[in-house]
Amino acid sequence: MTQTTARTSGPSVLMRLRAIATSFLARRILKALATIFIVVSLTFGLVRLMPGNPIETYTFELMSQYNMSYQEARDQAAALMDVNLDAPLYQQYFEYLGKLLKGDLGNSYRSKGTSVVSYIKQFLPWTVFSVGTSLLISFTLGVTLGMLMAYRRESWLDHILSTIASLASAIPNYLIAIMLIVVFGVQLKWFNVTKMRGSLSPGMTPGFTWEFFADAFYHAALPITVYVLTTVGTWMLSMKSSTVQTLEEDYVTVARARGLSDGRIMTSYVGRNASLPLFTQLAISIGFVVGGSILIEQMFVYQGIGQQLFKAINARDYAVMQGIFLVITISVVVANLIADLLYGVLDPRIRSGKE
Amino acid sequence: MTINDGLLVMTKTVLEVDNLSVEFPARRGLVKAVRNVSFQLYEGEALALIGESGSGKTTLGLSLVRLLPKTARIREGRILYRKDGEEQDVLLLSREGLRAFRWRECAMVFQGAQNAFNPVLRIEDQFIDTARAHGIRDKDKVRAEARELLRRVHLDPDRVLKSFPHELSGGMRQRVLIALGLLLKPQIVILDEPTTALDILTQRSVIEVLRSVRDEFKFSLIFISHDLSLAAELADRVATVYAGKIVEIGNVFDIFEKPRHPYTQGLTQTVPTVTGELRELISIPGSPPDLIEPPKGCAFNPRCPYASERCRQEQPPLEEVGDGQFAACWNWREITERKPL
Repeated sequence: MTQTTARTSGPSVLMRLRAIATSFLARRILKALATIFIVVSLTFGLVRLMPGNPIETYTFELMSQYNMSYQEARDQAAALMDVNLDAPLYQQYFEYLGKLLKGDLGNSYRSKGTSVVSYIKQFLPWTVFSVGTSLLISFTLGVTLGMLMAYRRESWLDHILSTIASLASAIPNYLIAIMLIVVFGVQLKWFNVTKMRGSLSPGMTPGFTWEFFADAFYHAALPITVYVLTTVGTWMLSMKSSTVQTLEEDYVTVARARGLSDGRIMTSYVGRNASLPLFTQLAISIGFVVGGSILIEQMFVYQGIGQQLFKAINARDYAVMQGIFLVITISVVVANLIADLLYGVLDPRIRSGKE
Repeated sequence: MTINDGLLVMTKTVLEVDNLSVEFPARRGLVKAVRNVSFQLYEGEALALIGESGSGKTTLGLSLVRLLPKTARIREGRILYRKDGEEQDVLLLSREGLRAFRWRECAMVFQGAQNAFNPVLRIEDQFIDTARAHGIRDKDKVRAEARELLRRVHLDPDRVLKSFPHELSGGMRQRVLIALGLLLKPQIVILDEPTTALDILTQRSVIEVLRSVRDEFKFSLIFISHDLSLAAELADRVATVYAGKIVEIGNVFDIFEKPRHPYTQGLTQTVPTVTGELRELISIPGSPPDLIEPPKGCAFNPRCPYASERCRQEQPPLEEVGDGQFAACWNWREITERKPL
């Protein structure tokens, strides 16, 4: 057995390589890696194209804050930031790539000694929690209401929900956030905006306790409400049109003729087929979960990755920006990859085509 | 009455349609798709409903299992289903009663079986689903039954049961649907254009399959088609449908040999004879009637070579014109033989 393998190892390696090149999965993964590489390189260049640089920005900050002279502030800024921005760009680029391959995203320029990885570890979970929860709620609610609208199409319920859905998805999320704060928080005083700020109450220690989860949800409630309100409409309308189409399908009529119960037809025949086109959309949304929303986190002072990105951009903290963009890129690409693969599992017609 | 081996045998009625009318609201007015249709289906017989497209025959079929589109209205009539000496009006069935009636008592095999199956479920699961909807929870029993039926329709059960619908050809899917239709041993099977979307060889095999399962399972069959040659092969009785009405009904030999309605006569002349007898094929002049405002009198009068003044004024009733043969024509006596060409 081993002998045979040894003798035919030449062609078999070639064949295996060919198999990899033609395998759907391998091709998709290679494509995903290439995408990540290209985006990483572009990000590297783009963040450096922004006017100003980390030292400059900090210098002006120090000057205005402490009334220092330019030279004094510049020295202090340069001393704080242990980076050589004067090195040739390609040298910086390869240094960055080299570290990246080892999983080292470098240190924050601004907060000396804090690694970008630890930054992301600290803030990313909050964004994933708030945006992820809202996506879950939004998708479930949207799909359910969309189906309801399709089943009751042309009824008053359908008209009301359609109007609400189009309206809600047309309003930018920051406007809804402002409305929530000003109208319900400040004027009607339905909730205490100041107390709800942040991602946790002071003194709350993370752990598997009821208090912790309740507190986390309390603080995430407003961002989640905004995310849900602004995204649920799209899910509703997509699901409605998809369901209306599916209801016209012959197999639904035949299912009725077969005497299947309405519930069974609604879930396994209509719902399952109608939601297929939504999964690509869902995967893309899952990818963007880590990105969060800069504006919303900023407005509710929610300590997620979006807020950190905002701070990093203001401070021109290249390392942090690159790190956050990298995480967003990877998750979008991976989510799409999973969507492609999952789609085959969900829809057998695609599966057999790719095998 | 039905004809078995040339003998007249008195049989029971399993379905009686009584004065059924179905309408659809449209922009111009009401589409009268089915107008005062009455007929009986006897136990074990095959009845063909023949007509041009747009004649209302599919609507008639769908109304028998109450699968009409939401907009349709059944204006009047009764559909009486009889089994074991009991009689039910299908139109009065409750939601649950209707659900139980469908497929178990009356299975409808649709035209375009191409999309009759849920694309994301294996054929096996669709058999199990159907059985479970009617209270049969023993999956192994259902599987065994499905295997047997698939073998009957000349399919390889091992392959088919594990397949997804898109992995089967059109003819295979049509046969699978027929097998699925027989799963619960219904008393009535309705076939709507069972061979229309298939190529000629596949059509043949589907017809053979239908014949053999009918011999074996002895269900009553209604099949809806525009294809007279199919009717000649499968039916015991034929009803021709024109403008939402049954214009002639009788046993298959009478309908083909001595039609008493000019429309039936026209239809039979559009089909080449199997024996190759030389006969000029003619098509019926004119186009199908408007179902919103059907012509006054007999709906066929504008296209009819025999039309008289009476035909333009009064609607003819179905009249007995022979042994078990009925025609709705004022001038049926004149139509004793083929119109000389």
